[in-house]
Amino acid sequence: MSLFNYFRMKKITIVFTVFIVILSVFSCTNNTEETGTTYMPDMAYSRAYETYATTENLLEKGINYNATPVQGTVARGDMSAYIYKNDSFGYANSKSIKNPVSSLDEKDYLEATRLFLVNCAICHGDKLDGNGPLWKTGDGPFPAAPRNLISDPVAIAMAEGTMFHSVTYGKNMMGSFISQLSTKQRWMIVYYIKQKQRLASGGDVAKN
Amino acid sequence: MNLKRIFRKNLIACFLVFFVLFNTQLVAQDGKVLFNTKCASCHNVFKSTTGPALGGFQEKENGKWADTKELLKWVKNPAAYMANDAYTAGLKAQFGSVMSSFSDITENELVAITTYINQTYEKGPGGAVATVQGSETEESPNKNVFLFGVISLIMAIVVVVLMQVNSNLKKLSDDVEGILTPEPTPFYKNKSYISIAAICFFVASGYFVSNGAIDFGRQKGYQPKQPIFYSHKVHAGINQISCLYCHGNAMESRHAAIPSTNECMSCHKAIVSYEKGPKLFDKEGKEINGTAEIEKLHKFAGFDPKNPSAWKPEMAKPIEWVKIHNLPDHVYFNHSQHIKAGNVQCQSCHGEINKMDVVSQFSELSMGWCINCHRDTKVNFYDKEKGNKFYSIYEKFHNDIKSGKMDSVTVGDIGGLECQKCHY
Repeated sequence: MSLFNYFRMKKITIVFTVFIVILSVFSCTNNTEETGTTYMPDMAYSRAYETYATTENLLEKGINYNATPVQGTVARGDMSAYIYKNDSFGYANSKSIKNPVSSLDEKDYLEATRLFLVNCAICHGDKLDGNGPLWKTGDGPFPAAPRNLISDPVAIAMAEGTMFHSVTYGKNMMGSFISQLSTKQRWMIVYYIKQKQRLASGGDVAKN
Repeated sequence: MNLKRIFRKNLIACFLVFFVLFNTQLVAQDGKVLFNTKCASCHNVFKSTTGPALGGFQEKENGKWADTKELLKWVKNPAAYMANDAYTAGLKAQFGSVMSSFSDITENELVAITTYINQTYEKGPGGAVATVQGSETEESPNKNVFLFGVISLIMAIVVVVLMQVNSNLKKLSDDVEGILTPEPTPFYKNKSYISIAAICFFVASGYFVSNGAIDFGRQKGYQPKQPIFYSHKVHAGINQISCLYCHGNAMESRHAAIPSTNECMSCHKAIVSYEKGPKLFDKEGKEINGTAEIEKLHKFAGFDPKNPSAWKPEMAKPIEWVKIHNLPDHVYFNHSQHIKAGNVQCQSCHGEINKMDVVSQFSELSMGWCINCHRDTKVNFYDKEKGNKFYSIYEKFHNDIKSGKMDSVTVGDIGGLECQKCHY
């Protein structure tokens, strides 16, 4: 090997090394917009359709896929679906429906309390006084005063079925809770509100 | 005497002024309470909700409503009043319902309410509430690390200099005493220095290379742009909405669930503008118009704020949020198991989401991170009153606890480190 060749070889190695170093340094970006690459993408990313993955391209493939449950079916462990539709007829007739939850044991009552605190108390207040953090006597972001569930005569007189109808489909400024609470959970919350009203009036108190 | 009289006069005047001021304030405060209890569930001063906006209502209809008697007639029996009045009948057509009658309201109460409405209307929206500026200064931990680095570098230089000085002094004293020593080699030719530097270089580069290789495929700090600038800080932090309001499925299923558009609309049917929260900035520091972001949601929902009663949940289209916390497909993770059985707080894995305007991945979500937590976390082992009764089957551990061999049981003890627990 001549001296000339030796230096040329060395030069190539040096250039190559520097190139690799620069490349590796510049490939380490701090881009928080991207997920980066993985060693084995086929193990990291599901080939099956995962929850919340878009199913739009299934139609292109000629697969008819409908993510909504079949009409008339009831989820395992849930109560049978509510019969009335979201109209004035349904609202007027809802009062005739009895609450299938007629009493709750200690554990379920605690669960009903939790459901109320999570879903309702932000507007109606944890004391049911209609003054939750979204209203804050008018200082919160919500434009309308939530109903005082503990002392408002309308709320006390309201039938449990009507209350359930309102929670299901929404009423006035209140939204619908059909997509975040199951039928049973909604009935449990209605029972909880009524129980609290009974406790506040000191009258006929069932269990708990 | 003269001075005293002037003083007394002024005192009376002061009292008078004070009394008048205090009195009007009282009326306004009463008005607020009355408005909130009687009117606010259907009326807002600035926005049409279930009923029309009340701000400036006395100027409508050629100032007819400025007459309290006329107003009282309407409020006491709206249905009867409406029969002979085209304007209020038109309101019924517009809002789809008749106002409830307030037969027990007095003229004084009505005056207090209108005073409150007018005062609030003059102040303008958001005038009553001082907007909170988002100016939290946080001390960055990086600053400390940098400081320590600089200090240790200075110390290292001092050590090297001292060593040089020491060897020079030794040579000087050797020369004086006449002991023959070889010429010292300069430090860049000194073999022990070179080998120490080489070892340091390899250790440091090995550390960075292996760390980089481990991080390959991990996404800590991932902070993508979302289709709507949704601030968790405003919702879960300032407005104290529970995480489980939107992600309630975390109690019941593998997934924490992304709320449906209908769920967003349960509040945003009413909240159509962003007014009372702090200013919002995206991660580049650009200011975000909150109201415009809510309008984006309304577009997804197919909701027209001018005609709210026409909206139906069926009109909504899903919003394609970008998922941030992703586990590889070969790992099974279940939210309900951790939250319901394990009582783990959302923040332990997701960080202080309630302080993030733009959510970023807080934890590594690596296997080592999972395993460490499984090793340390103690399970709520079976005690007859409060414990998880599922654990009653671990007979050996119960005996060990009784005999004092163990004091607590970790997730790892009951199989939380087995491969098949998460990989199958």
